[in-house]
Amino acid sequence: MTVLRDYAATISQPTLTNDDAEPARYDEVVNPDGSLRPAWKAMAELAVGLTPADLSRVDGDIERFLSDDGVTYARPGEGSGAWRLDPMPLVIDAASWTPLEIGLAQRAELLNEILLDLYGQQRLLSEGVLPPAVVFGHAGFTRVVARPSAIEPRPLVLCATDLGRDASGEWRVLGDRAQAPSGIGYAMENRRVISRVLPELYREAGLHRMEPYFWALRSALIQSAPGDLADPRVVVLSPGTHSETAYDQAFVASTLGFPLVQGSDLVVRDGWVWMKVPGNLRSDLRSRRLERVDVILRRVDSAWSDPLELRGDSQLGVAGLVEAVRRGRVRVVNGLGSGVLENPGLLPFMPAMCEALLGEPLRLASAPTWWCGDAGSLDHVLDHLDSLTIRPIDGEPLSIARVGRVELRERLLAEPHRYVGQERLALSQAPTWHPARFGEGRATPKPVTLRTFTLRYGSAYRPLVGGLANVYENVEGGGLSTSSKDVWVLKAGAGDADQGLTDVLPMTSARSVSVMVPRILEDMFWFGRYAERAEDLLRLVLAAHALSEDFRTRPRSTGGASLEVMMGAVHVLAGRRREDLDEEFRSLLLDPHRAGSVAQALTGLRDALLGVRDQLSLDTWRAFGATDRAAEALEASSHSHQIAESAGRMLTGILSLQGVTASMIRDPGWHMIGAGRALERAIQLSHLLRATTTVRRGIDVDREVLNAVLLASESAVTHRRRYRGYVRPGGVLELLLMDDENPRSLAFALTEAREHLAALPASTGSTRPERLLEDLIAELEGADIAALVAIGGVGRPNLETFLDTFRAQLVRLAEAVADLHFASGPAPRPLHAMSLVELTEGAGEPA
Amino acid sequence: MRYRVRHRTTYSYDEDVNDSLGIGHLVPRTLPWQQVTSYDVTVSPAPGDLSHDIDYYGNVATYFQVTEPHRKLEIEATSEVEVETAVYDDAALAVPWDRALPLRDPELPDAWRFTDFALPSALAEQTDEARLYAATSLVRGRPVGEAVSDLMHRINADFRYDKTATTVTSTVEDIFAKGAGVCQDFAHLTLACLRSHGLAARYVSGYLATQPPPGRERLVGADASHAWVGIWLPTTGEWLAIDPTNNQWADDRYVTVAWGRDYGDVPPVKGVIFTEAKKSTLRVSVDVAPV
Repeated sequence: MTVLRDYAATISQPTLTNDDAEPARYDEVVNPDGSLRPAWKAMAELAVGLTPADLSRVDGDIERFLSDDGVTYARPGEGSGAWRLDPMPLVIDAASWTPLEIGLAQRAELLNEILLDLYGQQRLLSEGVLPPAVVFGHAGFTRVVARPSAIEPRPLVLCATDLGRDASGEWRVLGDRAQAPSGIGYAMENRRVISRVLPELYREAGLHRMEPYFWALRSALIQSAPGDLADPRVVVLSPGTHSETAYDQAFVASTLGFPLVQGSDLVVRDGWVWMKVPGNLRSDLRSRRLERVDVILRRVDSAWSDPLELRGDSQLGVAGLVEAVRRGRVRVVNGLGSGVLENPGLLPFMPAMCEALLGEPLRLASAPTWWCGDAGSLDHVLDHLDSLTIRPIDGEPLSIARVGRVELRERLLAEPHRYVGQERLALSQAPTWHPARFGEGRATPKPVTLRTFTLRYGSAYRPLVGGLANVYENVEGGGLSTSSKDVWVLKAGAGDADQGLTDVLPMTSARSVSVMVPRILEDMFWFGRYAERAEDLLRLVLAAHALSEDFRTRPRSTGGASLEVMMGAVHVLAGRRREDLDEEFRSLLLDPHRAGSVAQALTGLRDALLGVRDQLSLDTWRAFGATDRAAEALEASSHSHQIAESAGRMLTGILSLQGVTASMIRDPGWHMIGAGRALERAIQLSHLLRATTTVRRGIDVDREVLNAVLLASESAVTHRRRYRGYVRPGGVLELLLMDDENPRSLAFALTEAREHLAALPASTGSTRPERLLEDLIAELEGADIAALVAIGGVGRPNLETFLDTFRAQLVRLAEAVADLHFASGPAPRPLHAMSLVELTEGAGEPA
Repeated sequence: MRYRVRHRTTYSYDEDVNDSLGIGHLVPRTLPWQQVTSYDVTVSPAPGDLSHDIDYYGNVATYFQVTEPHRKLEIEATSEVEVETAVYDDAALAVPWDRALPLRDPELPDAWRFTDFALPSALAEQTDEARLYAATSLVRGRPVGEAVSDLMHRINADFRYDKTATTVTSTVEDIFAKGAGVCQDFAHLTLACLRSHGLAARYVSGYLATQPPPGRERLVGADASHAWVGIWLPTTGEWLAIDPTNNQWADDRYVTVAWGRDYGDVPPVKGVIFTEAKKSTLRVSVDVAPV
């Protein structure tokens, strides 16, 4: 049996149970008689031939590809998790796509006209087409941009519409996304993955490729710049790496070649928006280098976009942005205030608004929706509380199970205009792959919805020929999507232009113009530091683990004593958690909450990389694919040798980042990575030497320790060559402190840091970090190995003092780098949020 | 009456502020009963950017930005206004209050526009407490002028004026709990009461000229930035202005500056600053001098 045959057999089988709860659904692949839908006919042979083994392999490949590309999505209330993609695409043939496409283009046109009217003449309200409470009662209606002076039309550039099929197979609108629609990046990533894992099927299908749509989007954004600029600056404004759809934002930014920025990277001056770029950063704004921004593709909701005129507690926006927008000096896409369209209260009035504004009937019907502000509709909703989805016009659905029937009724009656009731469609179903723990996996029918995207290109709206399908476990409960599907829209003829776009020019550069705002330099610096820290920790754990394999049962041996010394070095960094050595190693590798652990360094590394995701090669994320799989393998196995195996594979993953940085353009960001890496290496090395070489424990133990130190500092081979295997403190310290040919030495790290710091835009040769670094280099050059290793009592007091002061100065140097290069000034604060001594004189006293 | 109004707002900080952006609602509106013959808004240190615009509600909104480091920011608004006591149409006041509800009667002229002022707003939540409290005054069929005046008298009698009772972020619930507040709280409370029954009511920000005690000089700076409430009279489109803090209808001592749904739409000055400073001191001085 093959997967699709099996699936078709299940679907066409008459159900024996008389279960009314399960509605009849339209099936996306199989006709009621068990034959394939027309869309699947062309590739029937290949598709039907797929066996459970094939799909199981493909499913595994998908998971690996997504992990290697670092594709994440944060479900509301949860941390960032893996993006999920089902192997079987949602396929739509040209004949069924065409009416949908025409309907979506009309809808975007209509939404745009509604938007212009609500922020302009408000004829829809004054003429009674749309009840005013649907607009005035909606949190997205943004009065600060609805001013008579702001008459310039600012159309919607990109909007999204969610659709579902009803039982008859007709597409119905579930809702619109108009302020900062997400998902087009995920859609493109889905396509990229599916085309790699199902190449034959993909080639056979004859579907519309998506790339030209991105070229058109890029061109539309550039053309939306105010005025007639030759080379407008476009940025993508993100709420930050913790946003639900951070991946999507970075993907769009890097695919379009626009920098991904955050609110703190931008400032308003003289009514224009500027991007902070490094230069001579002093605390006052005048001396700061700024570059003007003309277009902002925003992924921050309107309410959070400007702490001056919108939410005062927002740290995500740009103070003064609203004023710059009102003056027409920057174009925000989509405009501030377009969120009023994300409003299910509009749905019942769409047909009338379409007639009023476009003079034609509405093509795409919505899922039947009742606005409770209308008395008759309220009665209908109250009578059907169980069968309808109750939604506030500007919020998440209210579930009767959570809120309770009585409370729900009360809310509806108290503020009826704030709510709608929406019929739950018996959404169409599509085969969705379920891997089996034992035996063969299979495809089961799951409800799906379709997110479409529509772009204003030139003077017309063009839907993306494709989309993003969401798969649900149980849509009735208003559940969240559990997986996604690629959407294949087939061409009518093989010669059709992809996306129907014949006039769009391919993009010349796909990589983002690197923009080094201070925040990005900071993330780059920490990229270098955490990568080095993770590497050094892994080497230390590997060296200690190697000793433990041989000597853990012989604590009194020289090996046992040196094991204790190496574990001491670990414990200074990460504390001591577990008595059992293996458990301790596991915790060091796996526990992200343990300060000083490898897992924590990897988390820090990942956070830093996410902040600059648009600037990095996709190869970057392979490193985490490797470390994640090594961690999983360690969790799955209780064998001690798996510790070294996994630590080794983690090290390989981290080392692959060196390859990523090797191919990066030599810009300030690259130098910042280098500076971070060199400083961290110097700090880790001085720490390691301080913990291992300043106390004497007898010649044999010391030699064993020195061997482990050479191993942990990746200098064992060099040492063997230089000193012919004769291990003594003077030689080891010479190699690790002074040897400027040993890339793992302190001297080498400092020289490297010097080169990188000198190349940064804010460096002058005499900045504080540069001066501190010169002092350190001079101090190291002036040091004398013989004096350092000199014995005093049980230890080497000179070495101890030297390493302690050196490390303290290195930490100070790292702080000075941060002060000079990353300081982007204090965060904005509303005036009233300070501890305020108010001296009002006579305000509002009764007369 | 003719007045020269001077309204000075001074912020002092314990450390340098590098960048201040502000929005002011400081220029009085021109109205049938109020003429504005001149106005000026100055900011010190000199702002790099200052502009006036008309906002969504027709108020003058002033935007400014100071980018020179400063420890003291001063915004001074001066204007000359001539105010008459507004006279309302008797028939408009006599309309039953429950025939003046824009949500219930969308056919009333301009009801669509003033629905905005009948819906809840952030600082004037329509609590059950407010609705029940107002119900005593808003008896079915009672003329709107009489009903809202009765509500005004009761609020004035039942709530204390107390500068220490509330803060700028106080809610309607807080005001009920304390039984006290300042003019802004009295206004928000009145708005909540009226809107919870469907009336369209707006928050009015302005000044009240005070009379010196008999035999004493008028003190500069003793006048007040004030707030009161306007209620929509649908038959004429007039807005009955009542002052629950002082238990009277607004007259020619009231200078109207701006109106909106609540204080949040029309604060005299609000701003965002970029600084490491921990403390700031605010001084407000208002002078409404008859000329």
